[in-house]
Amino acid sequence: MSLLEVERLSKNFRGLAAISDVSFAIEAGTITSIIGPNGAGKSTMFNLITGYLPLTAGEIRYRALRITGMATNRIAALGIARAFQIARPFRDLTVFENVRVGALFGKAGPRDVEATTRRALELASLAALAEQPASSLTVGQLRHLEVARAIATRADLLLADEPCAGLNPTETAAMIDVLRQVRTNGVTVVLVEHDMPSVMEVSDRVLVLDAGRLIADGPPKTVATDPKVIAAYLGTPDAA
Amino acid sequence: MTRNPVPVFLLVAAAVVVLAAGPLFLPPFYVRVGQLMLYSAGLGLAWAILGGFAGYASFGHAAFIGVGAFTAGLVEARFSTLPTALLLPVGLLAGAASCAILSALIAYPILRLRGTFFAIAMLGVSHVCAEVTNNIDFFQGSMGLNFPPIAPASWDPANFFYEVYLAAALLILLVSWQIRRSRFGAGLLSIREDEDTARMLGVPTERYKRTAFVVSAVLTGIMGVIYAHSLGYITTESVYRDDTNLSLIVYSLLGGMGTLFGPVIGAFLLVFITQVILGRLLDFHLFATGLLLVILVLAAPGGVAGLLKRKRAAT
Repeated sequence: MSLLEVERLSKNFRGLAAISDVSFAIEAGTITSIIGPNGAGKSTMFNLITGYLPLTAGEIRYRALRITGMATNRIAALGIARAFQIARPFRDLTVFENVRVGALFGKAGPRDVEATTRRALELASLAALAEQPASSLTVGQLRHLEVARAIATRADLLLADEPCAGLNPTETAAMIDVLRQVRTNGVTVVLVEHDMPSVMEVSDRVLVLDAGRLIADGPPKTVATDPKVIAAYLGTPDAA
Repeated sequence: MTRNPVPVFLLVAAAVVVLAAGPLFLPPFYVRVGQLMLYSAGLGLAWAILGGFAGYASFGHAAFIGVGAFTAGLVEARFSTLPTALLLPVGLLAGAASCAILSALIAYPILRLRGTFFAIAMLGVSHVCAEVTNNIDFFQGSMGLNFPPIAPASWDPANFFYEVYLAAALLILLVSWQIRRSRFGAGLLSIREDEDTARMLGVPTERYKRTAFVVSAVLTGIMGVIYAHSLGYITTESVYRDDTNLSLIVYSLLGGMGTLFGPVIGAFLLVFITQVILGRLLDFHLFATGLLLVILVLAAPGGVAGLLKRKRAAT
């Protein structure tokens, strides 16, 4: 049984089909990247999985349980966490307090809150900044905070929305390290990412969306040489 | 987050002892001022459970003062054969229950509004309640309601109500302290900071907001019932007051929004300034209060608590 199954998923914004008839399954313990040009429906996919937006058709199952139509906080409590592309820290709280909210709520409720918080902070290499107010962090550190807060919920599935966007090479390398650590700790990771070197380096598998359709699915090397993928990114010769 | 809860606890305990002994040495005028301070502090604390912790600033909490007061008055009139000592408890129960019911009924629709929209909708609730009380004979809002004297014969009523206010304010402080340090409190703070993210982390935001709203309304209603008894006679105008609606926000702004002691500091400060320092200036005092507020909010956006924090961070 796959951890997450997406079956014939569609989402229309009025007339616009943001996602059309997409199916895939995510195996536990893997890192999967979802890539695609701007507007391909990558972030919409995350919004649908987390219940932030209602879907038009299809079904999403998590551990064989149908989560379509569930409230966002209930989905979070089942073990799906999300790290936002544009970091949304609780600005007036310290780094520790931010992550503590994840540990207090999320899956399995409030057990070992302090220890879980510390572990998540260490995993995201934020332990030294624990007492700083979140508003004082750099963009790169805020991304780490997003991941730490998500991991503190004891999620089994982390949806990370462009964790490397806008980061410099050093910060990107640090983020990739954190994501690997997260996987080593038994958390399945799904990434939406634009930074192709990072995607190639970290992913076990790549899904390619274009205009709401799934056009490729496979190991990074295979997908990178797929003519359909190249066409989606660069345009086809006859269209030019 | 206080890192040294024992000294803070001792400080509060000492303050309560001094305050409780107040009527023994204060002249009557200052006992009245003290009543108003404690009443305002209690209201400010109750307001802040929703407005300060969860970030839903209500502009109409006088609704619950009025509903609590009028329910208590009408219920007590039907239980007039009860011993005097039981009247206040009965009134408190009735007032708290009616505020719980009213807030629970309006919680779902009104808490879907955010920010200014919520504030204005609450102002509307307060005005609707006032109009209903005023225009439906059953509620006797325009005629007025009498409250039986409940202070024990051996006790000066002013001193008696001073102590009742102190007890109620202390109860509300304990409730908000417990909330602040609980999981529920952490959830409310995360809602204030970013409601969508909070939900994404598994915080049951809708349920928490509703609970905070009901708790805040009930505690406000309790204060309203005591207020009505201390006045002895109330009309619509004396409990549904827009200056109360406004002041409750000001207490938190002045003392420190979202902090535990902010509303207490703010209420004490504002009451002292308006009643004692500016009390003799008559109409001029409203102007002076307004000016003072503008200066304070500009100079110290975090309120008094924010100033203290900044000073501690600097040393």
